[in-house]
Formats: sequence, structure tokens, C-alpha cells
Amino acid sequence: MKNLARLTSHRRSENALPYGRASNALPYGGASNALPYGRASNALPYGRGSEESARPDGRASNALPYGRGSEESARPDGRASNALPYGRASIWMATLVLCGAPAFAQPEPTSIAIRNAKIVTVSGATIAKGTVVMRNGLIEAVGDNVAVPADALIVEGDGLTVYPGLVDGLSTWGMGTAAAATGGGGRGGGRGAAAPAGAAATPAAPPSRGPEDRPSTTSWLKAADEIQPGDRRIELARSAGFTSAVVFPTRGIFAGQGSVINLAGEKAADMVLVPSVGQYISVSRGGGGGGGGGGAGFPGSLMGYIAYIRQIYLDVDYYKMLKAEYEKNPRGMRRPEYDRALEGVMESKRILLPANRWVEVERMLNFSAELKQPTILYGMREGFDSRSTDHLKGKNTPVLVSLRWPEAQRDRDPDDEETLRTLELRAKAASSPAALKKAGIPFALYTDGLDQARDIQRAVKKAMDSGLAREDAVRALTLSPAEIFGVADRLGSIEKGKIANLVVTRGDLFEDRTRVEMVFIDGKKHTPAPDATGGRGGAATPETPQGMRR
Amino acid sequence: MKKGTGARGQGSGMRKQESEVRSQKSESRTAGWIALGLLIATSAFAADAGNTFFLKNADVYPVTGPMIKGASILVQDGKIVDVGAKLVAPKGVNVIDAHGSRVYPGLIDSGTELGLSEISAERVSVDTSELGEFMPQLRALIAINPESEHLGVVRVNGITSAISYPAPVRGGGGGGGRGGGATQYISGQAAMIHLSGWTWEDMEVARSAAMQLNFPAIRGRGGRGGGNADFNPDEFGGGAAGGGATTFAEQKRQYDQQIAKINEFFDAARQYQKERMSNVPGFKKDLKMEAMMPVLEGKMPLAVSASRARSIHDAVLFADKQHVKIVILEPHDMDKVGAELKAKNIPVILGRTEALPDAEDAAYDEGETGPAEAYKAGVKFAFGTFDNEFSRNIGLQASRASAFGLPPEEALKAVTINAAQIWGTADKMGSIEKGKWADLIICDGDPLDTMTHIERVFIKGNDTEMMNKQIRLYRKYLERP
Amino acid sequence: MRKTFLAAIFAAAALVGTQARGETFVIKNATIMSEGPKGTFKGSVLVRDGKIAEVGDKVMEPAGATIIDANNQFVIPGIIDCHSHIAGDGGINEGSVSVSSMVDIKDIINPEDIAIYRALAGGVTAANILHGSANSIGGKTIVLKMRWGKDAQGMIFEGAKPGIKFALGENPKRAGNAQGGGRGAAPTNLRYPATRMGVEDTIREAFTEAVAYKAEWDKYEAAQKTGQRVLPPRKDLKLEALKEVLEGKRYVHAHCYRSDEILMLIRIADDYGFKIRTFQHVLEGYKVAKEIAAHGAGGSTFSDWWAYKVEAFDAIPYNAFIMQKYGVVVSLNSDDAELMRRLNTEAGKMVKYGGMTREEALATVTKNPAIQLGVQDRVGTIEAGKDADIVIYDKDPLSEYAKVLKVLIDGNKYFDRDTDVSGRAAQDAEKKKLEEKEKTEADSQKKQGAGGRRPQ
Repeated sequence: MKNLARLTSHRRSENALPYGRASNALPYGGASNALPYGRASNALPYGRGSEESARPDGRASNALPYGRGSEESARPDGRASNALPYGRASIWMATLVLCGAPAFAQPEPTSIAIRNAKIVTVSGATIAKGTVVMRNGLIEAVGDNVAVPADALIVEGDGLTVYPGLVDGLSTWGMGTAAAATGGGGRGGGRGAAAPAGAAATPAAPPSRGPEDRPSTTSWLKAADEIQPGDRRIELARSAGFTSAVVFPTRGIFAGQGSVINLAGEKAADMVLVPSVGQYISVSRGGGGGGGGGGAGFPGSLMGYIAYIRQIYLDVDYYKMLKAEYEKNPRGMRRPEYDRALEGVMESKRILLPANRWVEVERMLNFSAELKQPTILYGMREGFDSRSTDHLKGKNTPVLVSLRWPEAQRDRDPDDEETLRTLELRAKAASSPAALKKAGIPFALYTDGLDQARDIQRAVKKAMDSGLAREDAVRALTLSPAEIFGVADRLGSIEKGKIANLVVTRGDLFEDRTRVEMVFIDGKKHTPAPDATGGRGGAATPETPQGMRR
Repeated sequence: MKKGTGARGQGSGMRKQESEVRSQKSESRTAGWIALGLLIATSAFAADAGNTFFLKNADVYPVTGPMIKGASILVQDGKIVDVGAKLVAPKGVNVIDAHGSRVYPGLIDSGTELGLSEISAERVSVDTSELGEFMPQLRALIAINPESEHLGVVRVNGITSAISYPAPVRGGGGGGGRGGGATQYISGQAAMIHLSGWTWEDMEVARSAAMQLNFPAIRGRGGRGGGNADFNPDEFGGGAAGGGATTFAEQKRQYDQQIAKINEFFDAARQYQKERMSNVPGFKKDLKMEAMMPVLEGKMPLAVSASRARSIHDAVLFADKQHVKIVILEPHDMDKVGAELKAKNIPVILGRTEALPDAEDAAYDEGETGPAEAYKAGVKFAFGTFDNEFSRNIGLQASRASAFGLPPEEALKAVTINAAQIWGTADKMGSIEKGKWADLIICDGDPLDTMTHIERVFIKGNDTEMMNKQIRLYRKYLERP
Repeated sequence: MRKTFLAAIFAAAALVGTQARGETFVIKNATIMSEGPKGTFKGSVLVRDGKIAEVGDKVMEPAGATIIDANNQFVIPGIIDCHSHIAGDGGINEGSVSVSSMVDIKDIINPEDIAIYRALAGGVTAANILHGSANSIGGKTIVLKMRWGKDAQGMIFEGAKPGIKFALGENPKRAGNAQGGGRGAAPTNLRYPATRMGVEDTIREAFTEAVAYKAEWDKYEAAQKTGQRVLPPRKDLKLEALKEVLEGKRYVHAHCYRSDEILMLIRIADDYGFKIRTFQHVLEGYKVAKEIAAHGAGGSTFSDWWAYKVEAFDAIPYNAFIMQKYGVVVSLNSDDAELMRRLNTEAGKMVKYGGMTREEALATVTKNPAIQLGVQDRVGTIEAGKDADIVIYDKDPLSEYAKVLKVLIDGNKYFDRDTDVSGRAAQDAEKKKLEEKEKTEADSQKKQGAGGRRPQ
């Protein structure tokens, strides 16, 4: 085994553990993520170019930046480090079986070219028939007259359309079910814990007595540190055409810092594109917490939450000032007490505030101006209302629109009259994206807990039926979220040099009959399960504990 | 921050309440004295000379007839003996000069807990809402505290009698009293009382005016009413709009089950009635069932609290099925049920006119126009405040309805004769007519409006004290140096 | 009128931070209860540029003015409710702590609350929106005008001094105590205080802290002025609000019932050197009217509510009258979205209970609350130069038989009964239309076998 390993050592680290992970690890062809094919084992430190991890092939461990031609990361085979094996029924992978080693992963193609496909670049004009070439996990070339490299694996794109991989602008995919549940207070999902949300609530902690107790605050928490690659929703997301997501811890008032991740990876580090892109703030206890106070502690009312957030930012200013003073000359000065809540807030380059009704949009915009923080509003249920857009104009505050359109309550008392407000909301909610577009407000769409491809597609289609042009819908799930989170220089459109995240469909994206044929993440292909995009009956609910594969 | 304008001299209102209208002895005439003496000596009703008098110089509003200007009323032993413009005071009778004030029948509040509840937030002072699902044997009358401070407070505003219910009727339907989790279908026998008397026996007008039935309801939004945030210190989240997570189907099932339960109980009562009449050997008296007999015999109506159209409709069907008489308490949705109620001649007791609309989109004056709707539908109605603290203002409830479409004379009827008719006491009260009790109020204007001063209140011809806890405190602190 | 109609009309104005310039109206031939030096008389009012331009027997009628013939009708200043909890999102009580001065009603204004519209229909043009009474020291408060259709900022009564709510008596000690039955409060979560003694202590402790806090800041500011380089103290929102009280920048509105607690708070205020602006509810104010007047506080009370709590058991409907007799500025308030619509008749009761004159009675809901809120230069009477906040009734406003016909705020018409009544059919039609559209869509979805949505 070991000798064979050496033969193929240019593809693997010398200290890669053989099938060290999941016991169900099969030779290539089985569970795709069972093997560390082509990657250093997780025993390696993520040292970039650290000698410990230096591999005979000169490649650094897998903690490399997704190398833009970086020498450190350049592999003799030209592949990016964290490329996953194409575990499933992938015919052409079989052809790459190395000599004498059917037990090992097929090597990744050095380059993949999709040719003769319709290419929706988003950043530029749509190419009716063109080619996109991927190499090293990046887009090497795209155009209607692009030569296919000799070593490229060819994907025939006739009848197919290529889009940038979809980006979920606000997500908990990859955070595991515990984090996904909107339970009571408490910390973000524990690593690998399948504990029900209730257990994570704070029965032991005494109720908070004021802002000094830093209630429901875990601002230092980074989604990047909480990623669970085995989260089953990731696979579902890919079936829907998503290749990355901006994931956040979502429990608490200052829930923590979000991260842009790719929706494929053996380990978390493979998936993280940008570790910290903003602080998620909420103004409710989420789920069952009662009204204003009582047993739950401060804050219990909306004004309590707002006052707390305001106080935190005052404390941040004060803390910064004290630290600066102390830095200048500690002698004779009492040291400022370390406050990780404030540190976490300070690390956050922007904040996310909730706003569904136009009243809340107005409220949060005022608040954001007062806090002087770059802000993104999320929810935007009443985005269609002109008062929302009027307030947003000129405020330089992008918004994330939930795709979970309001629905009629089932099993309503037929004698109970619904309010005009409710009826209007249901009738118009899906037109919010179109209204925001028309008003020139930067926005992105997010799935807000919709995990099934069919539901997501339907939701986007509804927005389109309500006035959002397809190209705007596509943009709202690709380049726009990338722009909003400051990663448009590397993600969100099909341009040379950007990360090779693509979705390939048969048919126009978001149409009912369209199938997602495959997605590429970091230039590696993933194929959805056969029934994944076909309206799977009986949704697998996210509450089932995720099988942790390690 | 002293006031700009000088304070007006105190108590012109107060002065009026202390009443300049004093009884005057008739000019003494020997013959008159002798006649009086003879009267006293010979008459059998000598005991209460206080409730015999001759009231003159009044604008009398009989309610059942047109106003009589400059009229007089002769009261003997607490009963109205004569009313008219050209009466002459009999010799020896106490003469009261109304000085041109108005005289009306005492007002009747068809929805209170007077005498049964003192401080609503303090359970120990509240005797409504007993435990138990079917409690027809409970009698509100005997738990009435004749010294309840509420009686005096309400009475001085011209309310002379009221119905006191064994359980609150708020939000209409669904049973369960204050803080009570379990459902209570039949709460007991409501009583009609006068608001003055040494004992509850004294106060009794009708021991069992009605049997209170809380009809099931499907819980939608809560009832009307703003809800004083001050009254609910537990409301710390502001508006946790109830309505649990149960589906409509589930709620409907429960609702149907509850109606079935009530029917079962009535069926059992009928069975008991049968056994009772047949003198079955081994027949054992059951107080609950005994209490149901007058209901089954049609002698006592059921006072059914039912707010929404569905509950009202089902209550009507229920009454048909069980052959019982009903009065609906606090109905909403008059536009939907008016015709049905009229067809069956079912009277209703309307709740607070001043109430917030049930739904966000409803007309802002939905509460205020309710009575006019009932009137247009031809439904007979009286008013009830269903609130001890608000009972003193029942007149205002009626007049506000007039602002929104109810003819003023109908408003007055709804707090006088209609109530008496609905509760079966119209032979004794509700209007100023011969033979009825002298439940009278003397006032300087429309007794249903805000600024009117009630000068005197008579109950069964007795001049009740225009005094209560509040007036006592008023006087006391007015005198603080 | 529902938001769809009026909101459309006022949407343009809604976003302008300052008041929109009002229309020009002439209200003619009405009985005007001006509450000003002119008293009650038959005459006319000219409204222009948001202000009352002229009041008198006859007024100028500029070209283009909308003439409102108010013959046989009554005109009064807009009613001001000194105690209200409407128009707030997410709870009016931060009941978790006994001193919650860090929270602010201003942060949660909900301009879509239908209670605003209904208040308008009851003649209310401004309201003092207060934190609830769960805490000895509650949150910061704000005065709003009932400008239905504007956004949150547009509702704020600009220039009105902000306030803070205190609460004495049963509510703050009941809140959060198992014995008192606070909802959700486990015995382990007993919250101090549980007695009136504790309420006093809580307030004194808070102010002791505030005094120290203020001293730090004063020291800092003084040092700054002399050019010294010093570090500022930490800004604490809770204490900041109390500092403003000490500096007279924030009014104290104190919910109270019993005479002993009223006196207690006066003595605290005396000790710490601040003033109570108004006592709210103050149902036993008549017992200590002398002390209240000497302190200079106003009294904002109910007309005749009583007996709903033990501490309300000695309430009397003559409360306002007696307090006024001793020289306290008295107003009547609602503390209730329903009662808010009838403050005119609540005022009428003052003629009956004690014998106020009609003008004095009406003052309790117009001129006096304006004085209490410090906005008497702007509102509260119909005098030239003041804001055109005006209500037209069809009959005597102190009588139950009267209805509100029109309401102007800043010279804009925010309520018109005719428009409301005639608009009802249209609103119903619109609802039906939406309902049917939804139904047909759902039916066609079913037909397509799309299977409806799965519950998420």
C-alpha cells in the first residue's frame, strides 16, 4: 500500500492517513467525501508553506489560498489543493485510474472546458455559444472564441446554459442543524452537536440584568470556525445550483461573524472563502421567548434590544479609546478589561440588521446612521412598498430579500377576516425584488431556510412572475451578493481569474422544467442526485441529525 | 405651574347633589293633620311613611308614553299610584317639589357583577366564577354584599336596578372566568336586584332572573376593548396575541364537542324532569337538576353569552332543539345574525357601545353603530355594561349609540322598559306607570348624557342616600386645610 | 380611512422631515371653544401654512381656500392624550429590570398602528406615548402627533421635550414577582422591589448613581474647558437619561396611585433637586393636592375609573376638580386605546363631578395637557400663531351625542368622517378582489398538480 502510495505520491501527502476518516470510506467511486484524495490529511497544520507540511511534490498543505498562480500552491498537476474527488457515477473519472491503483482516487483533470454552451456571464453580455475553461480552480478563459486547451476535459455544452454558481446571500448552510434551528438563546451550534435547540438554551445562566451582562452576545463567534462540511443541506443546495453561501451564526442579538463559503469541501478550511464578512444582529429572542422581560432577562422588548445594541457601540468607542490610551502609555493607567464581545463587534466590518416592514426599514436605517456602521438589511418583506424604497434611496445600504414569500395560513377559521394589510402583503411580497430593482436599490436574494431545490426555484420564479427580469434574478443570486459582501473581485460572475464556481443547466435558470445538470466549485464538478431537482416528495427536514462523517 | 384661571367656587355640582330639594311638610292645616292622623291610625301600610309622597312640578318622562310637562306623581308604599299633569296632593302626604327638574324611571343595567366583585384584580374580593362545568344550582343573589361600595357609586348616577351575573361575561363566550383555566358552561342563576337594601332579601327583585350559559366559541382574536395597560401589569411584552397553534379543524372539533356536552347535560335534565314528574320510587333530589327545571319549563330564560355569528347561530339552534328561552349577551356581528334573532324573537343584551372594533379593517365606529343595527333588524335589546366600574356610565352607553344612529327614545328604552320586559319584571318597573314601583330619578337634564346632575334617586319610593364612598372622600378632602 | 387611501395621499409628504405646509382652510360659523382669551363664541378660523392664522367672528377668506361651513357645528383645539401606549412595536414594557431608563419609546414608533387612526376619529391630535408601568424607573418617552400616514419620524412632535416614565405602587412591585403573579416569573426570578419601600429605595439608588455619574461628566467637561486632556467617563445610557432628569432636560411622568407614594416621590425629587413634571393616574392626588401644587407638578388622571385594583379603591371622580382647586394643572388621560377616542366626553364628566365650567372641563383634554407637556406655545388652544390642530364636532363636544367630523393637524386634514364612511365599500371591494385573486391562483395551482407548497 505504502509503495503504491509513493508511486502516486505526487498527488498525495506522505503523511496522508489512509482512509483515516469515516469508517465507511470506500475506494474511489464510493462516498465521495470519504477520502482525502489529493489532500493533506486533517492532521496537518494549516501552515502555508510550513516545512512540516511540505510535501515531496513541493505543494504546501491544503491551507493554501486558492492560488492565483501562487507558487506555493502550484501543484505539478496544476490542481487546486482541496479538490474533492468526484465520488459519484462519473464516467470519465474511471478513465483516470492510475496504473495499478484502482483503490485510489482518480486524479482531477488538470483543466475542464465547457464548450458550445450558452454562457450567462452576468458581468457582461450573454454568450450565445461559447466556451469556458477552468484550471486550478479558477476561470482561465471565457468567450465565444476561446480555444479549448489540449489537456482539458471537455464537457459538451450543447443545449446547456452556464451561469455563475448561485450564491445564497444569507444562509446557515454548513452550520449544521443546531445552528440552523431558530431556538431560544444560547450559543451558536456546537461542533457536531445534534442537540435540539432547546437544550442549548440557557437554563443555567441567570437572567441578564442589563447591558453589562452582554446578553445573547457571541459576537466573536465566526461561522468560519463552525462549518460542518457534512451538513446535509449543502448537497441539497448544490442540487439547486448553489455553489457558495454567506453563512452566519444566527442565534442571539450579536450572533457572530459570517463567512463566505463554498458549498463543497472535505473540511471547513477548504470551504472558507472569506472568514469574516459582517456581524449578524437580531432584535428578538427568536422562537419562543416571551414578551418584554419576566423570566428571560434583559432585554425583553424591542426597545430593550435597540438600547442594548446602542450601548454596545458606545462601549466599543470607549473601549477603543481606552485601549489606544493604554497602548500609548500603560504606566499609571488601569488596564482596560478585555471584552471579547466588543472585540468581536470591532472585528466586524459591517452589520446585518433585520427589517421586514417598511416601518422597520425606516427604523433600522435611522439606527444604522446613528451607529455609523456599514449596514445590510435582511428580510425585506415589504420591499415592494414605496416607503421602503424611498427610505433606502441614497442611503448606500444594500438589502437581502428573503425568498420565503408569505403564505396563507392553513386551517384558518373561515369566519375570521384577514386584514387588508395581510392580503396585500401576500399579493405583493414577491414583487419586492422587482420594486427594489426599479428603485435602484442594491439587493440580493436569500433562501431563508428553503432547502429544497424545487422550493427555491419556485420562489425565484414567483419573483420573476411578479416583475423581476430573469437576468436580474440571476444577478441577485450571483454577482449582487458578491458585491454586497465585498467579494465581487473573485466571485459572482464568469470572468477570467475568478473562482471557478459555475452552475450548468438544461434550460433557463429558475424555470419549472429546468434541470440543474451539474455545478462546479473551485473547478471541481458535482452532480446532483437524480431526484434532487425533480421535486422530491416529502422534504427531508433539516431537523434530522446530520450524519457526521468524522 | 399654577393654573391660569382661578378655580371656580367649589361644588356647585356638589351643592346640587346635596340637594336643595328638600321635602317640605305641607302647610299645616288642622284638617290635614287630622286626616293624616287618621290615615296613620287606620291604614295598614303605616309602617313606611317614607315611601309615600307626592312629587310635583316635574317634567315626567314615563318612557312608555310621551313626556308630561309640569306633572306630578303620587307614590304610596313605594308604588306609583298616579301620574299626571293635573294631580292634587292628597292631604297629609309628604310633598316633594321637583322645581321643574326631569323625572325618569330608574335606569337598569342588564350586565353587572354588582355586590359580587369589589376589586377586580383581587381574587379574594371576587365571588364570581365558581369552579365546575355545570353549576346551575349556584345563586348569585345570596352572595351579594349589600354594603359593596359599588352600589352607592352606581346608584347616585341614576341606576336603580341591575342584573348581577355569577360569572363575568367578557369577550363573549367560551366560559371560564377570570384566571380560570377550565371551561364553565353553566355558571348559575343571575339575579335582578335593586341597588339599595339592608340585606340581599331587601334588594331582591328577581331571585333567578336568568340561568347563565357560556356558549362555546372558536377563539379568533380576542374580544373588543382596548385593555388598559395599567390594569394588566403582566402584559410585559405588549400584545401577545393569543390564539394558540391549534388549527381551525382542531378548534372546530373542540367547539362541537363542547356543544355536545351542553346538549348532554340538558338531555340529562329532561330525563330528571321525567323521573321527577313520574314519582319514580327511589327518586333522589338533585339540586343541580332541580335548578334546571324552571329553565326546561320555559319559566327562566337562559342568558347566553355568545359573541360571534357562529356561536350565536349555534346557540339559537340549541335553544330550538332544547325548547328553552334564551337571551343573548354581548352579541357582535349583528349584521349577520340580526334577522335570525328577530325571526325567533330572541332579545339581546348589548355590551359596551364604546368598544374598539373587532378587526383592524372594521369601521372605526363598529361598536357605536351596533345598537342602531340591532334596532334596524327589529331585535329587542337592552344595555349591559358587564363591568362594575363602568356601570355608573350605562346612560352614556345608550346616548353614544344615539350619536351613531339609534333614535334617542330607543336608547332610553334600552336602559329602562326593554330591560324590564326582557327579564320579566315589566309589571313592576321600567317605566313611570300606575302600579309600578317608584324607582325614580330626578335630574337636571338628559340622564343619559355626561353633564347631567342626578339630584335624587328613589328605589321603591325610598329616597336613597345620595352618598357613597367617593362623595365622602370628596367632602373630606375638600375641607383639608 | 385605511392606510391604502390616506397613505397614498400623504406618501409624498410622509418623507419630508419637516412638516409639510398645510392647506388653507376657512372654518366658518362654528361655535368655537377656543380655550383661549376669546373663550367660546360663534365665529370662524383661518388656517394657513400649518398654523392658525386668524380666529374671530369673521376672518379673511383667501382665494383658493377650502371653505368648511361649520354652521351648527363645534370647533375645539385638538385633544391631547397625556398617557398613551399606542403606536409602539415590540412591547411597551422592558420589564426585566427595575430601572430601564436606557430604553426609548422613540426607537419603536409604529406609525401603522390602527389605534392612531381610531384616536384621530376621536378627536385626538397628539399623545404622550409612555413606557409601561412595570418598572420603578421605566423608559424614555416621546410625544407624537397623530399624523396618520406619515412615517415614524414624521409622527414625532418636533420640539416637544422628551420624557421618562416612573411607576410607583402595585405595578412595579407586582412585576416579576412570583407572589405578584408576574407572568413567567419563576420563584427563582423574583425581582426587587416587592414593596413600596423597595420602590423608593430603587429610585433613590438609581439617582444616587446618577448624581455620581453626572459629577464625573461635569468634572470632565470642566477639565476640557480648561484645555486639559482627560479621558471622558464611560457613557451609560441608563444613567444618561437620569442625568438629563437632573438637568431638567427630560420630563418625569410618574405613574402613581396612593397618596403616600405621591408624597414619597415629591420628597425624593426635592432631595435630588429635580422636578416631577406630571403625576399620572394619581388617583389619590386629591388627598395630597396641596403638596403636588407646591411642588409644581401637574396631575393627569382618569375621569372616573376606580376599584380595578386595591390602590384604585379610593379613587373618586372629583379628583381632577379637587386638584385643580388647589392649583394643580390637571388633565384627563386614557391609558387605553379605546378610551382615547372619548376624551371629549371624559372631559364633559368634569362638569358633573365637582362642577367645572365647560371651558375648564374641556381644558383638561386640550390646554392643560399641552401645558403639562411643555408645548402650550404650539397647541392646546385655538389662537392665532399656534399649530392648526383643530377638531370639528357635529354637536356639543362635551356631550355623548357628538361625533367627530373632521380633524386637522398642522393644517392638514387627517380625518374626515364623510371620506371614511364613503370609503368603506371601496376597501371591502379591494379585499374581495385580493381574496378572489388568491383563490383562483390557488385553484389553478392545484389543477396544475403542482401539489401546493409543502410546509417549510
